[in-house]
Amino acid sequence: MNDSKTMNVATARLAAPMLQVRNLHAAYGESKVLHGMAFEVHKGEVVTLLGRNGVGKTTTLKALIGMGVHRTGSVIFEGRELITLPSNDIAKAGIAYCPEERGIFSSLDVEENLLLPPVIGRGGMTLDQLYELFPNLYERRHSQGTKLSGGEQQMLAMARILRTGATLLLLDEVTEGLAPVIVKKIGAVVRQLKAAGLTILLVEQNVRFAESVADRHYMVEHGVVVDTYANGERGDRHETLGSAKLSS
Amino acid sequence: MQAFLSQVLLGLINGAFYAMLSLGLAVIFGLLNIINFAHGAQYMMGALAAWLLATYFGVNYWAALIVVPVIVGGLGMLLEKTVIRRTYRLEHLFGLLLTLGIASIIEGLFVNYYGAVGRPYPVPSMLQGAVNLGFMVLPLYRAWVIVASLAVCLITWAVIERTKLGSYLRAATENPPLVLAFGINVPRMIMLTYGLGVGLAALAGVMAAPIYQVNPLMGSNLIIVVFAVVVIGGMGSIMGSVVTGFGVGLIEGITKALWPEASGVVVFVLMAIVLLIKPAGLFGKPFSGATLALDPEARPPLAGEPRQYLVPILAMAALLIVAPAFIYPVFLMKVLCFALFAVSFNLLIGFVGLGSFGHAMFLGLAGYVTGHVARNWGWPPEFAILGGTAAAAALGLVTGVLAVRRQKIYFAMVTLAFAEMVYFFCVQAPFTGGEDGMQQIPQGKLFELIDLAQTMPLYYVVLCIFLLGFLIAFRTINSPFGQVLKAIRENEPRAISLGYNPDRYKLLIFVISAALAGLAGSMKAIVFQIASLQDVYHSTSGDVILMALVGGLGTIFGPLVGAFAIVGMQQYLAPLGQWVVVVQGVIFVVCVLTFRQGIIGLLARWIGRPL
Repeated sequence: MNDSKTMNVATARLAAPMLQVRNLHAAYGESKVLHGMAFEVHKGEVVTLLGRNGVGKTTTLKALIGMGVHRTGSVIFEGRELITLPSNDIAKAGIAYCPEERGIFSSLDVEENLLLPPVIGRGGMTLDQLYELFPNLYERRHSQGTKLSGGEQQMLAMARILRTGATLLLLDEVTEGLAPVIVKKIGAVVRQLKAAGLTILLVEQNVRFAESVADRHYMVEHGVVVDTYANGERGDRHETLGSAKLSS
Repeated sequence: MQAFLSQVLLGLINGAFYAMLSLGLAVIFGLLNIINFAHGAQYMMGALAAWLLATYFGVNYWAALIVVPVIVGGLGMLLEKTVIRRTYRLEHLFGLLLTLGIASIIEGLFVNYYGAVGRPYPVPSMLQGAVNLGFMVLPLYRAWVIVASLAVCLITWAVIERTKLGSYLRAATENPPLVLAFGINVPRMIMLTYGLGVGLAALAGVMAAPIYQVNPLMGSNLIIVVFAVVVIGGMGSIMGSVVTGFGVGLIEGITKALWPEASGVVVFVLMAIVLLIKPAGLFGKPFSGATLALDPEARPPLAGEPRQYLVPILAMAALLIVAPAFIYPVFLMKVLCFALFAVSFNLLIGFVGLGSFGHAMFLGLAGYVTGHVARNWGWPPEFAILGGTAAAAALGLVTGVLAVRRQKIYFAMVTLAFAEMVYFFCVQAPFTGGEDGMQQIPQGKLFELIDLAQTMPLYYVVLCIFLLGFLIAFRTINSPFGQVLKAIRENEPRAISLGYNPDRYKLLIFVISAALAGLAGSMKAIVFQIASLQDVYHSTSGDVILMALVGGLGTIFGPLVGAFAIVGMQQYLAPLGQWVVVVQGVIFVVCVLTFRQGIIGLLARWIGRPL
């Protein structure tokens, strides 16, 4: 079991990575958060960024999508440098972002929220497929977006970016504050998306959840990647995970 | 009955224009987070463009309804893309100042080319005549305006609430960066939205052309009423703007029929009542959309230690003492009056972040009161000045209680609206002399000792009063009270959590500021022996904003330098007539875009210490 996973990772590494991040620095105004992040994500992989609060995981995703941070370095996505592009062009290159705070729009109903992100490529799911995957959303499709429960809002935030045909999904703490049964559901969805060939970069504090879905992990501390390991090879890294949650 | 109904009808027509204009303002505000002060000017451009197209190109009314909003809306988009866009990262105030400057430029240019006289625009032939409804005669065109504007409002509502484009707009109003990160070109949407709002204003202008005389100033007073409508309705909902617009128009019409003298102020009275009962407005939400990140450089610099100012203040006093040897003293006195006025304005905007856009009401009212008690009641000048100052402080208390209930741009609109109310009052009140102004105010003898009819003694008295006001402001800023105010400006929720009640602090500083503005106005009435409507008019409120901006917002010496610059410019450019308005507008725009720190701010940066 472990061997085959390691092999998958090994073969994936032979091809050029889908996303290659090098020497990524990012700052909010005066305060610098990232100090040279470097990692890569291969096509079809699920990769997580693990680490404690405030080490720059969310900022990394924001820097990738170009939202609200000043960034320098290099972000190459499918052979294209993104670091200078505005975030709408980054999205059009095929990256979709699901923010930590979910970003559900209160002035839009559920269906409008679902239909908001424009389709940027082929291969996205249809509205019907989304409703099949998330039946709750269908039942509440005419409710105000922010009237949903936390779990439903998280489903909505994820469903919303599956329609666009983006090939790389950036998911920021999708399990945060949710009941175990919902976390399980989200895990199933992530595995389903991976099976469908999507590439996912996941930010997590919940190590158990991360290890249930991901192929590889990067450990982030003080704005840099300090360690990386294939899933199932955590070994004695237990200590370095520090306060990261080991329970779901 | 016929007369009553036709007044009500006229009210409804006004309401139609209020609705369309406040709708445009609300749409623009939602996405751009600025109040478009140029809205009145753009409405005027719509009417004048229709007139120009008809006069020179024979374009008829129906074509103008389509062509004009497209042209004016297009110009609006160009304006957004080239100029307004640069203010989004700044404090909300700069967006206001920028569009205020743009409005001055547009109106000044049109007055220069077309004069201030009204030009008739014919009612389209299809809509001429009237139908007799039995109980009243209904002119067809007026019926058309009401129906058409209702339709326009409903279509706008449907586009925003029911279409895909509208959902982009609503989402971008809530969270622009996220919508951008989904791949939607938000800057282009902002441009289109501004174009849409401006196009609505222009459309209203075309529809207004056959009813009102077309003239370059037709928008400047209307827009203040529309601001009051916006405050009454709140900017939370599209339908709210429409309902409030028509409702206010109707109430105004009924008032005109029953009590004509009050019709000018009824909107502002309504606004005051709504502020008392429901500060967020009838349809408003307590919280307005997303806030943009502030550019730290655009913040007014904070003052330094009081001791650091000792030498500069003494130097200023010395310069002013010897100044009459080199400069015409009457000019200097005018500068000092306006400098104190600017000090009072700067006290609010620079140190508390409250932009009062109606500060002229304190200056003007104090002038009238001083003049009245000195001339008609025979008060000596010291009491006359005190009386004027007290009247301004009282006005500050009454308006302040209501105004501090709203923040930021609403505060600007509320103060502007109250000033307009005071202006209407002064136009009609018998003791002000109306259009002629109050003349021959006696100067008298100060303390029965100093003859103020002589220039030099008068100058030094004015200088003393200026220095007194200046030091009061300086002391206020550097007092513990001033420290709390700065805390409120920096982070109001935090100040509340520390146990301060911001509204009380804001009210007190507002009253102090009003009193200082009143002191300036009283002094001005004694110096020039007249009190006129000009001093209450909104252009004077604009002048003082410009003085504070040019001198340097939030600086100690900025107001004096700014007053010197602007009064001097007005004096020397006076032969150019209306071009002064254009020049001032250009100064506004240039200052906001490139020179936000002002003269003193720049100087302070050079020498590396606060001034």
